[in-house]
Amino acid sequence: MDKKFIPKITVFHCINAFSEASWSSVGRDDFEIKFIKLPCSSMVKDVFLLRAFEAGADGVVVLVCPEGQCRYVEGNIRAKKRVAWVQNLLDDIGIGGRRLSLSNMAARDTAAATQIIDDALKNLAELGPNPAA
Amino acid sequence: MIVAEQKPLSEIKEIIAPYKKILILGCGTCVKTCFAGGEDEVAVLASALRLACKKDGKEIEIEELTIERQCEDEFIRESAPAISRNQGVLSLACGAGVQALARRFAKTPVLPGVNTTFIGVLERQGIFTEECSGCGNCRLDIFGGICPVTRCAKKLLNGPCGGSQNGKCEINPETDCAWQLIIDRLKALGQMDNLRRYIPPKNWRTSLSGGPRKLVREDHII
Amino acid sequence: MNMNTNSKLQEILSKGEFAVTAECGPPRGATPEVVRKKGELLKGYVDAVNVTDNQTAIVRMSSIAACAHLLQMGLEPVMQMVTRDRNRIALQSDILGAYSLGIKNILCLSGDHQSFGSQPDALNDFDIDSMNLIRTVQTMRDQGKDMSGFELNGPPRMFIGAAANPFADPFEYRVIRLAKKIDAGADFIQTQCIYNMDRFKEWMKMARDEGLTEKVHILGGVTPLKSAGMARFMNNKVAGMDVPEPLIKRMAGVPKDKAIEEGINICLETIAELRDIEGVHGVHIMAIEWEEIVGQIVESAGLTPRPK
Repeated sequence: MDKKFIPKITVFHCINAFSEASWSSVGRDDFEIKFIKLPCSSMVKDVFLLRAFEAGADGVVVLVCPEGQCRYVEGNIRAKKRVAWVQNLLDDIGIGGRRLSLSNMAARDTAAATQIIDDALKNLAELGPNPAA
Repeated sequence: MIVAEQKPLSEIKEIIAPYKKILILGCGTCVKTCFAGGEDEVAVLASALRLACKKDGKEIEIEELTIERQCEDEFIRESAPAISRNQGVLSLACGAGVQALARRFAKTPVLPGVNTTFIGVLERQGIFTEECSGCGNCRLDIFGGICPVTRCAKKLLNGPCGGSQNGKCEINPETDCAWQLIIDRLKALGQMDNLRRYIPPKNWRTSLSGGPRKLVREDHII
Repeated sequence: MNMNTNSKLQEILSKGEFAVTAECGPPRGATPEVVRKKGELLKGYVDAVNVTDNQTAIVRMSSIAACAHLLQMGLEPVMQMVTRDRNRIALQSDILGAYSLGIKNILCLSGDHQSFGSQPDALNDFDIDSMNLIRTVQTMRDQGKDMSGFELNGPPRMFIGAAANPFADPFEYRVIRLAKKIDAGADFIQTQCIYNMDRFKEWMKMARDEGLTEKVHILGGVTPLKSAGMARFMNNKVAGMDVPEPLIKRMAGVPKDKAIEEGINICLETIAELRDIEGVHGVHIMAIEWEEIVGQIVESAGLTPRPK
């Protein structure tokens, strides 16, 4: 094992569920994280998720509001469907749908966000780097 | 509209295997509506292929372009520069579009990226159903606006077979029996007598069975 | 109803005798012995034998060939013909060929969809439907002309049959369909096998009310049950089949080694009831791959000897 694997995670989030300002990576140099904000999680188009992997992400996380609490009613449901579709596509591509995940979180619940990212990192430790990066 | 479904990624990979530089050409009409080959689908497919090729260690350069329609020369013309830059074109248009491209750009391989399936409608968001098989001799007036040629799995013209049960077709419990639909509709229209009418054997000459068809409108040709 | 064929089945029905027909499924191979064996089991117990046409879209020896084998044994075949596999050219051709071989009865059907069978990838035909086929045979017989209007060198004078399913949906339409088949030219009808006698009687009443029983011979279909499992399977998995719950319970209520006996009893009760229904002129016994039981049923039903 030559170089230690430092996973790169891209987070797409709805601004109603999460805000980058609330995040602190201080003291954590074992991963790199990038945030992309959207007015509603339903704005996460399939191609954005794929391009995140093309740009070198090892894992992609989509943060959405809890079901029933989407400001735009079913935006988070659309996001969920889309993410599931892209997960299948990632399996077909051969880099693995497990690299992409969607999680519901209550507005501004930073503890939840931290847990979600930690879970994604655990996953990536198993999966290793993006074979198409 | 014409409904098509994008081919599986594995099949597309095989089709483009001989090429290092391809253009994925989308179509902004029918295939856009059924999410098979519009601008968004071109972007997703290009990205997916780049990722897949990178993973497999295969070199590929993919250009993306979408034109209004691939069945009309006026629009096809616009793609000429892009086509000349590439070794092959992966067209996401229906079979007619693929052939129109091939006709115009005889020196560039034109490859199909979707499977063209049927003439249909949007039943509700995400669901497309086959309605018309282009038989060339429409008698929807007799059948209450429901086509037994297309929607009956046996193309029966004189009523349902014995396999119709609970309004569903024997071949698939999720497929409506067209004849049940026709009977219900004729009942609602007060036209049940149509059911007693003997419909003679269909003249299939106006359909594909008579050979590929052509429509010529002299009044529009100068 | 006219006496324009020399079909033995027509003769028996026209005389007002309660007719008995059964079914013979040709083999999935070219061995004629299979057909002859089945013929031997049925000889003397039936007035005519239906020979199925690639039933359930499974490739079998052709109906016309199997009919020819039965003819050679002195049996009277009813050639079943589906419109699924052949276009109007082939259908008319086979009708002419069949009659030339001595086949005098034909049952006109649409046919099970090919997705059920051994060749689901096949392109289906359905150039014409069963209604068109009935009319075609009638025209060939009574006018001596084929579908193109050509005067035939020898019309096929066949006794024309059609199927009816009193148990398929939609119910109110089923008698309209029966009337239509009669108008198209059907001389006799064989129904789907009857388990729901109430529903069958209702359908017969509707047929009588429309005067249809004056115009066509109806033969009620029966199939002996072998087990409660079979009853349940037929009810749930076979399109157009209605097996009432009490009947399934009855089959389930007897010990396994008595199931066949019970199934035969039910069959005999059904036949007895059929003989009392006005407008029913015979019984069509469909003992699929169980031809040996037909003789026993016909005898126990008191229907032997058959008229010569």
